Amino acid sequence: MIAMIELHQVSKVFHNDENGQHVQALQQVSLEIEENEFVCLLGPSGCGKSTLLNLVAGFEQPTAGRVLFGDGPVTGPARDRGVVFQEPTLFPWLTVEQNVEFGLRNLHLDAPQRRQVAGRFLTLVGLQDFARARPHQLSGGMKQRVALARVLALNPRALLMDEPFGSLDAQTRDRLQDELLRIWQIHRKTVLFVIHNVEEAVYLADRVAVLAPAPDSIIADLPISIPRPRDRFSPEVREATMALIGVLANLPCCVLPSQSEEARQTMQLQEGG
Amino acid sequence: MSTFQRRADQHPEGGGRSAGHDALTPVAPPLGLAPPRRFPLSHAGLALLAIFIVLALWQGLAVAVQQLRGVPFPTPYDTIERLLYLGRGRPLLEFTIYRHLADSLLRWGTGFAMAMVLGIIAGLLLGWSRLLERLIMPTIHVLQLIPGLAWIPVAILLFGIGERSTIFMIAVTAFAPIVINTTAGVKGVDEMYVRAARMMGADDRTLFLRVLLPGSLPHLLSGLRVGLANGWRVLVAAEMIVGTGTGLGYSILQARWTLDYTSSFACLLIIVGIGLTVERGIFGPLERRTVERWGLARAG
Repeated sequence: MIAMIELHQVSKVFHNDENGQHVQALQQVSLEIEENEFVCLLGPSGCGKSTLLNLVAGFEQPTAGRVLFGDGPVTGPARDRGVVFQEPTLFPWLTVEQNVEFGLRNLHLDAPQRRQVAGRFLTLVGLQDFARARPHQLSGGMKQRVALARVLALNPRALLMDEPFGSLDAQTRDRLQDELLRIWQIHRKTVLFVIHNVEEAVYLADRVAVLAPAPDSIIADLPISIPRPRDRFSPEVREATMALIGVLANLPCCVLPSQSEEARQTMQLQEGG
Repeated sequence: MSTFQRRADQHPEGGGRSAGHDALTPVAPPLGLAPPRRFPLSHAGLALLAIFIVLALWQGLAVAVQQLRGVPFPTPYDTIERLLYLGRGRPLLEFTIYRHLADSLLRWGTGFAMAMVLGIIAGLLLGWSRLLERLIMPTIHVLQLIPGLAWIPVAILLFGIGERSTIFMIAVTAFAPIVINTTAGVKGVDEMYVRAARMMGADDRTLFLRVLLPGSLPHLLSGLRVGLANGWRVLVAAEMIVGTGTGLGYSILQARWTLDYTSSFACLLIIVGIGLTVERGIFGPLERRTVERWGLARAG
């Protein structure tokens, strides 16, 4: 199997210019994700899940270690890694359709081609009738559908999703997850999905990785071999969920930026070496 | 990238603002929702009343000055009468009022257009690069502090007496507010928009034109508004050195020698009228068509 996303001993330290504190977000984390694999990244809030995703997306650079995507190191954001953020971050000055066309402009497609592609992906997420609407006229769930459509339209090799449905109501969240799975069956992609709900992670993923706060790293990495399509309420899903809850129960529920001392030592080690 | 401050509290899609108001005022209706209309007057009625108040104050002042100082201070009636007289094409200082108006508008338009193009480009760059902002923004602030009249010697030294000096003065006073506001606007663009654009493969050009420029538009429009008003206000000073004998500002100044104060007042009225028309007729609709339609209307 080919690793599509690879993190080797990755550390990330954030430096706060105002109070001079260092925060160790990730410490020597290693993770491999295979091509077309759907991996959910679980962990308590503040453990660095989003930081890990931002490193893969190229928004941040690691303090130490290597982040690889496909054939080479990640140097910055690019359209081969589509990101769906926690907030929809649609451009309010563009219509829904223009938002989906945004990335296509950089692909040197002419206007009718762009419109056609945008239309296809809006249909895929069920929003073909809202092409001319403005983002602020849509509900939260609809906005995230558009956010998904605009990255799918670019045919990325990987989808990076940072708790994209976390702020939606439970019913909308379930529906969007089902739709994501349906789309993923059609357009196979490598998916890294940051999530905090264990049951949803089990329902979605081929594999669930549990990230613990620094100085720990990935403390559990469970393949979920339940055949698809899955049932949220099946005993298999329930069983895997309970196993993961057991792992998570041993972790602190949240993390304060109290590792500054350790982080400073890490920094000094790096500067010395 | 670090020059962008994340401003979660200003995220245009967050509904937190109104929810906050609800929480703070549980009994009273939420702010922003108009209470049942208390004034029996319509918008037009209020506008007319406002104009009437101005005219009444002016009339009172004119009568008081005439009585106390014994000088012929033009009343609104005198001024409007003179305006109509000039409107029939009678010459003022050898030229028709239309020639004066057209020349002033041309100078204003040229100066403002230059300030707008240069100001927006400079604002985008200064908002983008913290280094550039630190190096150049102090100069812009100094420019803004210089009063309009003080540019006269500078303009004469640079361009001599004439058209180009006048346009320079209009441009230079309009420039600073445009730069300052555009810079603030670009810095206020949510960093998440920049990330979203980058991960969709946007190059620098796309980022500037399709993200930073529209994202900073609310501030940019305020800057243009102030710049346009500054340029118009400096017209009188700028036309002191125009040298050609035309322009509304020039005509006002010439009243010193001709003692034709009523005509000066008529020109002043035209200047105010043009300023109001541009403000209400251009910027209001422009904001409605952009900022408000995007759901970005700034909470006032």
